[in-house]
Amino acid sequence: MTNLNIILFLCGWGPHAAYQALQDNASDIPPEIKMVRIPCSGRISKALLFKPFEMGADGVMLIGCEPGSCRYGTGTATAENNVEDTRGILDLLGLGKDRLRLVTFLPDESDALLRFLKDFVSQIKNIGKSPVVPPPKETPIAEIDELIIQTVTKYDVYACQDCGKCTSACPLTLAGKPFSPRAIANIIISGNIEAPSVQNDIWSCLTCGLCYERCPSAVNFSEFIRDIRHILRKRGFDGHKAHGGFFQSLMRTMTSQDLKIKHWEWLPKEIRTDNESKILFFGGCASYLDIFFRNHLGVQTRDILVDSLRLLNFFDIYPAVLEEERCCGHDLLWSGDKENFLRLARLNVDAIHKMDIQEVITACPEGYRTFVHDYPEHGIEVNFKVTHIYELLEREIDKGAVGFKKLNHRLTFQDPCRLSRLENSADLPRKLLNRLHPKAFTEMQDRETGATCCGNCAWIGCDSFSKAMQVKRIRQAHDTYSDLLVTACPKCQIHLRCAMEDPFIGEELNTRMMDLVSVLARTIQWE
Amino acid sequence: MTEQKDTKQEIIITGFGGQGIVLAGSILGEAVVLGDHRQSTLVQSYGPEARGGACSAEVVISDKSIHYPYVRHPDILVCMSQSGFEKFIGQLNPEGTLLIDQDLVKPRGIARTFFSIPSTRMAEELGRVMMANIIMLGFFTAITKAVSVDAVRNAVVNSVPKGTEEMNTTAFNKGFDYGLAVLKGREKKATGKAGA
Repeated sequence: MTNLNIILFLCGWGPHAAYQALQDNASDIPPEIKMVRIPCSGRISKALLFKPFEMGADGVMLIGCEPGSCRYGTGTATAENNVEDTRGILDLLGLGKDRLRLVTFLPDESDALLRFLKDFVSQIKNIGKSPVVPPPKETPIAEIDELIIQTVTKYDVYACQDCGKCTSACPLTLAGKPFSPRAIANIIISGNIEAPSVQNDIWSCLTCGLCYERCPSAVNFSEFIRDIRHILRKRGFDGHKAHGGFFQSLMRTMTSQDLKIKHWEWLPKEIRTDNESKILFFGGCASYLDIFFRNHLGVQTRDILVDSLRLLNFFDIYPAVLEEERCCGHDLLWSGDKENFLRLARLNVDAIHKMDIQEVITACPEGYRTFVHDYPEHGIEVNFKVTHIYELLEREIDKGAVGFKKLNHRLTFQDPCRLSRLENSADLPRKLLNRLHPKAFTEMQDRETGATCCGNCAWIGCDSFSKAMQVKRIRQAHDTYSDLLVTACPKCQIHLRCAMEDPFIGEELNTRMMDLVSVLARTIQWE
Repeated sequence: MTEQKDTKQEIIITGFGGQGIVLAGSILGEAVVLGDHRQSTLVQSYGPEARGGACSAEVVISDKSIHYPYVRHPDILVCMSQSGFEKFIGQLNPEGTLLIDQDLVKPRGIARTFFSIPSTRMAEELGRVMMANIIMLGFFTAITKAVSVDAVRNAVVNSVPKGTEEMNTTAFNKGFDYGLAVLKGREKKATGKAGA
């Protein structure tokens, strides 16, 4: 027996009968295989398919019923989509899509099943052990009161005047959720961290920073919540994660040092990069997002990266890209997993330092915020400058001789919370927007540092109130009579698009969206 | 001994009196002589022009000594007013370079290519309309390469009133960057890649 770990998700209907026959006949099922019996292959979500890889599995099989013979009708079709998406992501990660297979068997095909199992094991043997080393499990700490008091002191939550401005500004509260930042702060101060309302609400906060913006005592509630999440997680609590925790799994998997990530392999040929350059373009997670949401939302956030690079090329800037680029860790940090955030941060920063980079350019507001703010704050020193692409474009365009073609749309703009509010740079995208020649550019009612969130942050706490917020936000965009909603963050596109998939009001909400860099790349020209 | 080719360039800068036309000419000459260690002469228009009419500065640059300081057929013509343009455009060398302030000069009736910059508007944006001449000088340096950048930049710093050096350097750089961008834009357009 080899030391391989292979997981078999086996549908309890058709194929399980075949498997049972093998067991009854004492057939030599490879001992590396650990079988998990499941009710239907369609119920194994992408998160569940991926989870074994996070835990260090070398291969995963999903065995279901043949398309026509699914007990529930659509199980196999769903499984096909899930497996294809997960395989795409495994490929990007450098694990290779061949580590995950979906096959179907009828109850009487036990011989074929055995052949397949043996084949798969030998195939995995050829590919080799998975380079993923699961991050060490931390034992939950028992005593957190002291840590809580420290955090309360650090953010001076005692300064809360109980005025309630935070609650009246909070987009979640305004969406109808019984949620109050002030109340959370008060309960935590009183030492009742285990109160059910805190346990629930702490993971619902969007950390969008609107309450901090309004707070007369300047209590940084978002960062306070973030740190409380770290402590709660240490204590062994965890929040409700969106998409089954797929993205957290993905990011934790990336903390393995030996992964041969292929972050940029898909980049179109006409984009010029230069790995000798002292400027690095840091892309972010757009490619993973596109694969994950391929069937549900059909977003093309990867265009943001391509168009950013196209704009850099336009100005004769040929940046380097980091082939083993990992997630910046933003979502782990804000969903309570500081340890793995630090692992990702170190891996990224070390790799960039090794390339002797002087300036990192990014088009992602979350990545920007994380690099300029959260890395240094958490003790990760960076010896390069970090520039948001809007800064660079504004600088280059301001030199002159560059113009923009007429744009046959009426625009409005969705502010990204990380850039506009947390980094206080709402003017950056607006300078560029004002250079365009659209039919009209009308701001939404809530805008700039007062803009409302797209509905979710860090893939946690998504619920029906998130949806209510998104609907409100899209209606606000409609009130401007615009036909193109310009965004500046891939997540804004994903979350707003999600509301547009609503079966009842989706059609009414449907709005064309495009990222600002894509708008710029499509209209910019030399004069 | 290799025969030194004739590198003489004749330049006319023209505009309204008060735009700093003569100052621009003098900075240019100073840069050529003190910075690039070449020869230069300046003939400036005296008289009523300096009170607001058409005004001009005639600059000659050469590696050899200059025997005649007046400009008959400029190789480079810089226009910052319509009347100046009308007056001198006929004299401009057919292969010469024409630079204009695009908001002040409408180059009517010519078939040649030219380089334009909104120098006055840019100066207004910087906060001082007076600096249009320095922006134009930056643009001139980038487009014509008749003189080295550092030489002009130093000459600007030495010639402007005390306390305004930084502002004028910013203005010069702005014009210079604009010039480089214009050249790059032309190059891109020539290769058929005007967009991103």
